[in-house]
Amino acid sequence: MTITRRFFTNWQSLLALCIIAGYVIVAISAPWLAPQDDPQNPTPMRLLPGIRPSALRVPSPPQPGAVLGTTPGGWDIAYGLIWGARPALCFGLITTLLTACIGVLVGAFSGYLEGAVGRLLMRVTDAFLTFPAIAGIVLFQCAFPLFLRKLQLNPIMLALIAFSWMPYARLIHANFISLKHTEYAMAAKTTGAPPLRIIFRHLLPNAITPAIVLAARDIGGMVLLEATFTFIGMGAGLPWGALLVTSRDWIIGAGGNPLIYWWVFAPATLVLIVFSIGWNLLGDGLNTALNPRGRR
Amino acid sequence: MPALLKFLIRRLFAIPVTLLIITAMLYGVLMLAPVSARAQLYMSRGESNNPNLRPEVLLQQIIDSHGLDDPYPIQYIRWMGRLLRGDWGWSPGFRGDVLKALLARTPATAELTLYAVILLIPLGIIGGGLAGAKEHKAADHIFRIVAFIATAIPSFVLALVLLGIFYAGLKWFPLGRLSISEHYIVTGANFTPYTGLLTLDGLLNGRPEISLSALRHLVLPCITLSMVHWATLGRMTRAVMIEELHKDYVTVARGKGLKERLVVWRHALHNAMIPALNSIALSAASLITGVFVVEVIFGFPGVSEVVVNSMRGAPDIVAAMGFTVYSVLLVMPVMLILDVLQAVFDPRLRDTLGEQ
Repeated sequence: MTITRRFFTNWQSLLALCIIAGYVIVAISAPWLAPQDDPQNPTPMRLLPGIRPSALRVPSPPQPGAVLGTTPGGWDIAYGLIWGARPALCFGLITTLLTACIGVLVGAFSGYLEGAVGRLLMRVTDAFLTFPAIAGIVLFQCAFPLFLRKLQLNPIMLALIAFSWMPYARLIHANFISLKHTEYAMAAKTTGAPPLRIIFRHLLPNAITPAIVLAARDIGGMVLLEATFTFIGMGAGLPWGALLVTSRDWIIGAGGNPLIYWWVFAPATLVLIVFSIGWNLLGDGLNTALNPRGRR
Repeated sequence: MPALLKFLIRRLFAIPVTLLIITAMLYGVLMLAPVSARAQLYMSRGESNNPNLRPEVLLQQIIDSHGLDDPYPIQYIRWMGRLLRGDWGWSPGFRGDVLKALLARTPATAELTLYAVILLIPLGIIGGGLAGAKEHKAADHIFRIVAFIATAIPSFVLALVLLGIFYAGLKWFPLGRLSISEHYIVTGANFTPYTGLLTLDGLLNGRPEISLSALRHLVLPCITLSMVHWATLGRMTRAVMIEELHKDYVTVARGKGLKERLVVWRHALHNAMIPALNSIALSAASLITGVFVVEVIFGFPGVSEVVVNSMRGAPDIVAAMGFTVYSVLLVMPVMLILDVLQAVFDPRLRDTLGEQ
């Protein structure tokens, strides 16, 4: 069976594709699903029509005009969830792509060069492994507050890119070490192919599959992490996390009833969890398709 | 010298190298920031509080006296020297010495991390091992579904669900580290903080009720924290376990007539644990990130307290830098412990790394 056949005959990949396609469709059709009534408001947040922000201290339940209710302050939850799909997809894809690129490059060069340069690169990779991403966020935010605001850069994105490329580097590094001494790589070298050509044309295509699987899983994971950091109050957040932040005090319920304000909590977290499940399933599906008998 | 000791010494020597790389990089990042950010690191308590000094005069004064115009290596070495001497700067954000503030909050964080790791390693390895041994049976399916969901749920959602049920609803487990009245007992004169870990100190001081209460406060944060990493560890163990069970030595062991229980739990699991422990050692940093997240959500007075306020209000570079360096220092022992654990189970690793 070819890779494509294996991929498309697997229930995991099919379910994953359905979920992801659902999010993409919602992201694209957001203007029709939730029409913007105020063209001046570019943010994915909307106040319940006809309400002053200060008027609502308590989340209001689902009602016509706000299908999923509002958070305290009158932010329409359904609107935020629909318009939040675009930034979430962008964030996940961009962050993962850049992370994977850095990791793959570091891994490829350290694996190919081996010698002193290669060892140094791996040492640096190992050093980065001891660095918690949360510290990176704190550091970036405190060191460049003005710079980040001016360029509209998300410090969480920067920190996640800077501190999650190491697994990619290690995977590619290990694969390169074992591929480097195969006969076809030696042959390419003997024919005088330049190192860059050997790395990118000959070795990388054979070494990259585990990185692809990892990247697919990471897209969901990155968005989850972002929402988590937004929730604990670190940095400008994407709408899904931000919606949860605005209703922070109401999520665990009131008066001993944890479910009394379910709508400030359940839809947003469900959207997040299904998003992450979709990308995780895609990773599993790719894994089955790309290395049928491999581990992981 | 026993191989394990040799291995440990090797590992300990790797720590300064890592620290050097990380701190050099951190100061490099800081060099990219405006000089006023770096100047804060050198501002003493008196300078920061002095209302008579105009900010730009003070800034120039600090740049001159601490040589902030010098090239990067010189500045870095000077800054490193201050770190090693224990002078981590005076934070204007929470008005105090950063290192002192970090150290004061260490036991809380250490206790939380410790219990989470103690909880997650056996659960992950046993769960994954069991699922691997019973591949495609009911236990395996249940494990895979639970583990899959656990990886997809963000830790803060899990935390909130637990809080909603057990704190707000059933009122079984409280927030924070101790209740206020118990906090007074602990800080009082009759209570000696031998270790700083309240669960141990309570017993050592003959106040088991304090230990019990500290343990009750730890239940929810620990469950939240171990859940995600439990799932990763378990899935890894399961995958390796399945691979091991198809190897020749397992067939031989079965052929000898060994009991299946022995084959799975003694032979295969022993080998399956090693890559699994390796994977969890490599994610020690994300474990620590998780610890800080959980601390914030559960109002646990750990190290993250130092930066939380400076994240919401004005950026406090002194606290941020201290926290950053400190969190790397926190990851290292966790990684070391997991590495050593791995070496205990894998004689090959001990030998090769010991000889290098």
